[in-house]
Amino acid sequence: MAAFANILLGGVFHAAVLFLVAAGLQLIFGVQKILNLACGSFYALGAYFGITFVSLALQFGVPAWALLPLLILAGLSLGLIGPPIERMLRTVYDRDESFQLLLTFALLLMFQDVFRFLWGANPLSIEANYLVYGKVTSGDFTVPVYNLLVIAAAIMIAAGLGAFLQKTNYGRVLRATAENRAMAEALGVDVSRVYAAVFTAGTVLGTVAGALVVPTAAASLDMAVDLVVEAFAVVVIGGLGSMPGALAGALIVGLIHAFAIVVYPELELLATYLIVIGVLLLRPAGLFGKQAT
Amino acid sequence: MKLSRRALLKSAAASALLAPAGVSAPAIAQNKPLKIGVLAPRTGLAASPGIAGIRATEWALEKWNAVGGIAGRKVEAVYDEETSPKDTIERFSKLVQQENVDHVQGIVSTGVGLALGPVVEESRMLTIFWDGTTQDGVDEKLPNGHYLFKSTDNECEAVMASLSAIKYWKGQFKKIAGINPDYSYGRNNQAAFIALLKRFNIDHEVVTEQWPKVGTMDLTSHVAALQAAKPDLIFSSLLFADLPVFMKQADAVGLTKNAKLVFPAAGWQHTAMKKEFTPEGMWFGHNTLYFANPNNGPAGKEFVAWYEDKHKDYPNWEADRAYFSLISYKDAVEKAAKAKGGWPSVDDIIGAIEGLEVESLGGKGGWRKDHIADQTFIQGFTTHKNRYDFVTLDKFDTMYSTELQKPAGANFWEWIKTANFKV
Amino acid sequence: MKRPPQILAAILGASALAIFPLLAPSYYVGLMIPFFAYAIALLGFNLLFGYGGLLSFGHAMFIGFGAYGAAVMAGVFGVKSFELVLAAVVVGSAIAAIPIGFLCVRYTGIFFGMLTLAFGMLFHSFLFKFYYVTGGDSGMRIPRMNILNLEFAQYNKITFLTGPFYYYCLALLLIAAFAMWRIVRSPFGLHLRALRENPRKAEYLGVHVRRFRLTAFVISAAYGAAGGTILGFRIGLADPELVYWTQSGQLVFMTVLGGSQHFLGPVIGALAFTFLQDQLQSLTQYWRFVLGAILAVLVIGFPAGIAGWADLARHRPKARGAAA
Repeated sequence: MAAFANILLGGVFHAAVLFLVAAGLQLIFGVQKILNLACGSFYALGAYFGITFVSLALQFGVPAWALLPLLILAGLSLGLIGPPIERMLRTVYDRDESFQLLLTFALLLMFQDVFRFLWGANPLSIEANYLVYGKVTSGDFTVPVYNLLVIAAAIMIAAGLGAFLQKTNYGRVLRATAENRAMAEALGVDVSRVYAAVFTAGTVLGTVAGALVVPTAAASLDMAVDLVVEAFAVVVIGGLGSMPGALAGALIVGLIHAFAIVVYPELELLATYLIVIGVLLLRPAGLFGKQAT
Repeated sequence: MKLSRRALLKSAAASALLAPAGVSAPAIAQNKPLKIGVLAPRTGLAASPGIAGIRATEWALEKWNAVGGIAGRKVEAVYDEETSPKDTIERFSKLVQQENVDHVQGIVSTGVGLALGPVVEESRMLTIFWDGTTQDGVDEKLPNGHYLFKSTDNECEAVMASLSAIKYWKGQFKKIAGINPDYSYGRNNQAAFIALLKRFNIDHEVVTEQWPKVGTMDLTSHVAALQAAKPDLIFSSLLFADLPVFMKQADAVGLTKNAKLVFPAAGWQHTAMKKEFTPEGMWFGHNTLYFANPNNGPAGKEFVAWYEDKHKDYPNWEADRAYFSLISYKDAVEKAAKAKGGWPSVDDIIGAIEGLEVESLGGKGGWRKDHIADQTFIQGFTTHKNRYDFVTLDKFDTMYSTELQKPAGANFWEWIKTANFKV
Repeated sequence: MKRPPQILAAILGASALAIFPLLAPSYYVGLMIPFFAYAIALLGFNLLFGYGGLLSFGHAMFIGFGAYGAAVMAGVFGVKSFELVLAAVVVGSAIAAIPIGFLCVRYTGIFFGMLTLAFGMLFHSFLFKFYYVTGGDSGMRIPRMNILNLEFAQYNKITFLTGPFYYYCLALLLIAAFAMWRIVRSPFGLHLRALRENPRKAEYLGVHVRRFRLTAFVISAAYGAAGGTILGFRIGLADPELVYWTQSGQLVFMTVLGGSQHFLGPVIGALAFTFLQDQLQSLTQYWRFVLGAILAVLVIGFPAGIAGWADLARHRPKARGAAA
């Protein structure tokens, strides 16, 4: 029973991080119709920068319990790279979507060496200990409070995004642009500004995810490429462009991954891909998405 | 193949390599610097050992060149990257055919070693693998290599750790759990451990075996499964970036307090094994170099001090593998040159390496007639009593690989059943 | 697509390739073997991409089929004849591609890309996980084979690769290119292009959209496997990393580099990429960054690739528009 709860929470934690990355992907795809292969790079950037940022902060005497807000801040500040990259992508908006995909792939390649140049090839861990927030223990069941905080943060961000998109004016503008760009433009929406804002928001979701995951894991050069496939599985299962889809997809992928390891390890790697293929074949729009081409 | 003028000139320059034994190279060659090609990973899972090896190579060459080089010739290193089997074969070919190196060293990955082995032989280039074998798992696939020299078997550290676990903890454990990376290295290490337990009739029960995907950072499920199984002892040959992550996550749930830990390959990541989450009293393998070993020779001590000063870091065992390969080449060349009274041919050097004994950074080492290395292995119990933020060893043992690896031509599993182990 | 200049270019190219081993250092001649492998694989890939408008991010899977197929036929079953292995692998890959393609061609655009990526990664995971069969991370050995029933025993593998095998691969490339030329010029090829431009209209006109795409997919799989056999033979090993999704990305890169809207574009791209990567790796340890930057510049500024550039040089402004 305790083992089940441990695994469940592990899966939910993984899902929380995946959700953030997937939400970023969905936002960008939903509004701009670009599938961002470089989402993995943003995730890795958040992790590496998170480590540096926290190190600096600790040197300046910031207390250890500020870890979580520091990481979120690190992720948010990386939003600065959003607009310049979006401007680069702008040059291929009118082209065939394959070229957009390829450009983000090029970014992925470039970022890898940027990380190596800035942070070296060794995997890096954060100096601060995430156990500073303590653990919740009940018999054999243990979960670090940090993990619960991250899950809570993801839920809040999910709720916030949902409310933002549904209830606020700007959210409506975003949905309108996603629905029909030409019409939105005709109605006076400054689409390029919307695109820049959306891309930045998507980027930040990725960087924050990377920053949040790094205390329990490490930053490594491979994390970008490995994440891309998982993130894609999430958005396919959930449905391209759908926020609730990102949540559902993340939970499914996170939990399947967590339980497959214990229940049927041979299938662990394969399970995710099989589900992706299954969803694409049976319900290509994903659980929550709109009709596929 | 038709020979062009270019090709003819190249082959003339390379005649030293292809000349039959006993004919010395033209005098011109002796004033040219020696060129050594170094193939090491710079990115990916094996980047940190690759870099340690490169640094050790740079340090050694700088030191030697300052006093004349190898047998009077200065040494120039040409560094290239070890990546996938296909690309590494190409870079190797470039070093051989375009850069015209005299010798090649490097290689850390098993798959690459296996693919490169035949190419080394076909190219007739004297090559020493730092940490590569030509074994498919535990089966030797290139038993009669002439130009290729290979590292110790991948299972040495697991054998030593298993023997040590039996020596120190016999009778103190019954339920065993394994968590090993899901590829040939992890699988063979775990299997070796179980085989040795059986050999010594240690009563045991394998409660769970976890096989995390190589390099994965998400180990919570594996940790939870281990916890649920409540083992007395955990055997793990995790050695990539996933190792400190596992330790962190295991410690966070209290797994490391209740079980004895046997980690033969933890030394690769030793500076990441922080005291915060790595317990004392864990059996920790440093393979062929323990940087803080008080018995390290003068070269070892000098190297560690230099490494700390220049790179603000502490070397892992790959640095020793690189140095061992380099010092073997140097000693062999100098020995063969002295015997011959002139510059030795490749076959002379090869002959000099066979049976050679050297003093490497971490201890003594040597070469078998079947071109597989012998080295000193260091493993011990962890302690927090040091000036670093990561664990080091207090009580440790050294074993020589003659006790840890199968002899030439033997079958690994048969050898485990019948060898004369000292426990 | 372009006509007579293509044939002239092809003849010039083939002649240059034929005399290359006589002029170039043996290292560069050896470098050409992977070029031949990729050129053949990419001719197939471009049938789907350039002509069919379908971007596959899983083409490396077929190269993997080729390499592993060769390992099974030659390594496990001891087949000595390269021709037999090649034929078996090509047919096997085509057959395996039918169910995969059947599922994939129901979609286009991003969904097609993602589905092919997923299948490719599925195969990668399978190769890694079922190590009893596939050798896992160590891969499967591919022993030396006879070409045209000749053993060429007097050549060691290196001289064999830069000598007889080089010309053998050149011949294979010419045959494969000729076959592909006929395919794209056939009614099938024209229908495929029509499908790319306007699928609804094509369907209305009676073209079976999915069937054509499936055929293109299967042909591309056959070509991919042929390339994979050559590649695997050269390396001597079939290993799972050949199939990782970034390898598929690299294939797309090569095609775009050469120019996906030209028949010989993929071949040019394979050649350019091979030399580019080689020179960059010798120049800097950050060669991946430079490659990524080149891809970015290509996509933004020169989407028609090298072949498109050559077109511009001959004052054919239409080339740019065709790229979209």
